[in-house]
Amino acid sequence: MLACLCAVLWHLPAVPALNRTGDPGPGPSIQKTYDLTRYLEHQLRSLAGTYLNYLGPPFNEPDFNPPRLGAETLPRATVNLEVWRSLNDRLRLTQNYEAYSHLLCYLRGLNRQAATAELRRSLAHFCTSLQGLLGSIAGVMAALGYPLPQPLPGTEPTWTPGPAHSDFLQKMDDFWLLKELQTWLWRSAKDFNRLKKKMQPPAAAVTLHLEAHGF
Amino acid sequence: MSQEDPAGENYRTTVKRNRVLHWSWESKLPLECAAHFIRMRSMVDDARIPKPGFWSNWSSWEEADAQNSLGHDPLFVFPKDKLVEEGSNVTICYVSRIHQDNISCYLEGVQIYGERLDRSVSAFELKNVSFIRKKGTNVFCKVDQGGALGGIVLFVSKVLEEPKDFSCETQDLKTLTCTWDPGSDTGLSKQPSQSYTLFESFSGKKTLCKHRNWCNWQVAQDSQETYNFTLVAENYLRKRSVSILFNLTQRVHPMTPYNLFPKNVRATNATMTWKVHSIGNNSTLLCRLELLAEGKVIQQHNVSIKVNGEYLLSELEPDTEYVARVRCAYTNHFWKWSELISQKFNTAEAAPSEAPDVWRNMKMVSGHPTVSLFWKPLSKVHANGKILFYNVIVENLDKPSRLEVLSIPAPARSTELTLDQCSYQIHVTAHNNVGPSPASVIVISGDPGNEEVESGRVNGTEDGFSVSWKPQSGDATGYVVEWCDGPQDLPCVLQWKNLGPNTTSTVISSGAFRPGVRYNFRIYEISAKRMAHLLEKKAGYLEELAPSDNPQVVMSNLTSHSFTLSWKDYSTESQPGFIQGYHVYLKPKAGEQCPPAFEKTVLPEDSVCCKHTIDNPEQKTFVVENLQPESIYEFFVTPYTSVGEGPLDAFTKITTPDEYSHILIRIILPMIFCVLIVMIICYLKRQWLKEKCYPDIPDPYKSSVLSLIKSKENPHLTIMNVNDCVPDAIEVINKPEGSKIQFLGTRKSLTETEFTKPACIYLLPTEKNYSGPGPCICFENFTYNQAASDFASCGHFPVTPQAPPHQLGPLTSPENLLKALEQNYMNSLGEIPAGEANLNYVSQLASPTSGDKDSLPTNPPEPALCSEYKMQMAIPLGLASAPPSENSSLSSATLLGQGEHYR
Repeated sequence: MLACLCAVLWHLPAVPALNRTGDPGPGPSIQKTYDLTRYLEHQLRSLAGTYLNYLGPPFNEPDFNPPRLGAETLPRATVNLEVWRSLNDRLRLTQNYEAYSHLLCYLRGLNRQAATAELRRSLAHFCTSLQGLLGSIAGVMAALGYPLPQPLPGTEPTWTPGPAHSDFLQKMDDFWLLKELQTWLWRSAKDFNRLKKKMQPPAAAVTLHLEAHGF
Repeated sequence: MSQEDPAGENYRTTVKRNRVLHWSWESKLPLECAAHFIRMRSMVDDARIPKPGFWSNWSSWEEADAQNSLGHDPLFVFPKDKLVEEGSNVTICYVSRIHQDNISCYLEGVQIYGERLDRSVSAFELKNVSFIRKKGTNVFCKVDQGGALGGIVLFVSKVLEEPKDFSCETQDLKTLTCTWDPGSDTGLSKQPSQSYTLFESFSGKKTLCKHRNWCNWQVAQDSQETYNFTLVAENYLRKRSVSILFNLTQRVHPMTPYNLFPKNVRATNATMTWKVHSIGNNSTLLCRLELLAEGKVIQQHNVSIKVNGEYLLSELEPDTEYVARVRCAYTNHFWKWSELISQKFNTAEAAPSEAPDVWRNMKMVSGHPTVSLFWKPLSKVHANGKILFYNVIVENLDKPSRLEVLSIPAPARSTELTLDQCSYQIHVTAHNNVGPSPASVIVISGDPGNEEVESGRVNGTEDGFSVSWKPQSGDATGYVVEWCDGPQDLPCVLQWKNLGPNTTSTVISSGAFRPGVRYNFRIYEISAKRMAHLLEKKAGYLEELAPSDNPQVVMSNLTSHSFTLSWKDYSTESQPGFIQGYHVYLKPKAGEQCPPAFEKTVLPEDSVCCKHTIDNPEQKTFVVENLQPESIYEFFVTPYTSVGEGPLDAFTKITTPDEYSHILIRIILPMIFCVLIVMIICYLKRQWLKEKCYPDIPDPYKSSVLSLIKSKENPHLTIMNVNDCVPDAIEVINKPEGSKIQFLGTRKSLTETEFTKPACIYLLPTEKNYSGPGPCICFENFTYNQAASDFASCGHFPVTPQAPPHQLGPLTSPENLLKALEQNYMNSLGEIPAGEANLNYVSQLASPTSGDKDSLPTNPPEPALCSEYKMQMAIPLGLASAPPSENSSLSSATLLGQGEHYR
């Protein structure tokens, strides 16, 4: 599966331009971003398993679904379907960009906390991939002529557990971070699939069918 | 909590005047789980007041209730993020704001059960907690079927251990390095790993160690000699320390020597040089130089040096790999050897020190004695270098001749020489780069000698074969035991063992020996002339096995009471053990007793059968007797060795015949044969038999002619009379026919063309001007023998051409005919007068018995001038004996008889 995805990514530059009229437009960038989200979705599945085992039970139990106690600062991926449909491209891309910016920051904090070298290596690798996704989204936005959202001063997310934050709640935050990340990747796949279809010129439609088993 | 609660604790201390007492107390039950109360009382502690003193009254209870400041979460678990040591007992509790009973708590996912303290608080005691992970042990409570959840992480640290094997040493008297075994790491995400601090009590200095198992300490310039170090290990929960006291100069551990090299390496000696790092000023180091060969220390030398070391290693073996290694220690006070430095080197080569071990095998090839020479490669100890070739020098001892020198490159281990009947002395030397080895000498006689010697057996043991022999002559210079390593059916890999002159036994061992394989040993005596004589032959097995296969048994001589079994093709030599004999198994028909010489036995598959043991391995036939006729027997033959018998194969089934069948066969078969012979003879000689037993006798009563006559002329006639039969008519035709002249001369062609018509009348050629004998009538009969034929040919009856046919008329009467014949007969004996025409006539139809002159045919034949008659058919004996004078005119038998008479 992983090999399949890697092969797809490897051959991404060889994918013929969707718009054959000359200027490829944002289509290839959207496709690339879509593929990257699917790849990250898969990568996260493996990383989350390792990390939740590191946290111990009940966090690694498959049916564990705790209330979202201390993770209010995490960007929520879940949204009302009608609201999601009504989002315009710019807003859609902006929300994705902002969410991954925050999530990446939290994830780096997670990496600093990790006690084992193996886990730190996996987290660092995932952070690099996520950074790539962020760049890819920025590219799509630039191609579509949308400005990047500017972080408000003082709202830079930090990973500093407050004194009232117990270790158990910290573990809950970690759990929710990974869960939100997974939901965001799923949502982004939907977003970019929608954008992709929207940007495709009907005459020169070329479908890159990518199956991601086991997601 | 009631004031008399037994869970209460007391604390007593002495308070001095004007001092504030600070007392920190940790409750076993987290403070958030229940309200805690405290009160105090005091008494005067003064020496001036006699004891016991008087306590003051208790103060009022002061309440400490942490629950009030918990917040509004539905569920709390305490204590939060507590750090404890492994093995501790920890009490936790939950505080619920929703006042529900259906709250479950879990330790690492496993539900735990505790004590309910009040409506909203339950306490759980976790005993002897253990370390699970650095990220802490999770304890959480949740409301069943509700979203409320609370939890804590309990950090369980491993118990901090005292550092073990703490020691300090210096390599250069400038820096001390202290090392220890730290034990378990107690680090958690709540607690860093334990720290180590080194403290020196004389100088009062201390240093925080950067590493968890070693630390460096700079030696002060003030020449402090004695040091007292204390190593302190510390984490959040505990502190452990260990101390050592030592003198600096007694803890010198020199650095590893360097630049160890061999110098001037020869065949038997080499010089080793090396260097050491200096310690202080003019310090001396004791170095130990060790020499290793094949991983073992063979030499050890101590050398005291300052900086440069050198030592001459002697008594080395040529062409040998050695390892030299050096380590050094501080001479003033031995503390520890330095690390080792090693160097590998090879000594130079020398000439081989020992003659190769040579043996020979002699055989005759095309009438010439051919010697195969074998030698063993020299051991490394004796080769003293790489053997390049072997020299074989052949010297004829019987007549002076040139030495024959063969050079055989290594690693060949054998060569073949074709010699004549003379005796030869063969020298074999091994050569390496430096020179030859001493020669190995072997003498070969042209006469192969007596190969027929005593054969014996030898027993194999775990160590090999213990072979012994009897010395034959007193002047033996040694013995050689020769054998083949492989089984008999494989090509022989000749092996031998040289033994001294006083040896009469040896143990032959080889890794190639296998159980169940027969090995043949030949023991040779080496005479003073270095000639080998075969002493004994021995055969043995390392371990005898049961036979692996059974002989192919042939059954013969089957009678109603016995049969014979034979397995003559079975070779006892190539078996996995010495064949001691054979077991003959016989299964008689059900209920029948075993025949004599058999005993009843039970086979492995529990079937009962009869067994006979043959204890002579060379007896390969056996007659099974005393059997019942017309019975089914099953037999099976298997050999046995000392270990056991062969595999139990399938039995062969036979059925004995009935008692009389063999007698019948003996009589009936010859009879049938005889009858067949007689029938064949009769068939082949049927013609002869017919002639002898039932010749074709013309029966006048059965003659067809008779029936013809009957029907036409005289129906009442039953016997054919001469008068009734129309005699043959002789037609004499005086017709010249040149071609017929040939007939007399070319009998063969006549035979081919006219044999089937013996009764034809042939006419000799006649010519009017014929001056010789006249034309004759010739009755050819080709059964006539040559003599008779010759005779006949010589007696041509001249036929007068002038005689007309009607002049023969008087011959038609029998009397005339007889006369004529008589005359003819007489004439044939003598000269027939010229011009006298005669006619010979024999009836073809007249019966030989017909002396009846009346039966002559009525129609006389045409007269002929001359006719010749030859016998037409065989005449019965009765007729042959008739007087010629009477029958000569009637039957040709007369002529035959005369013919034979004239032979």
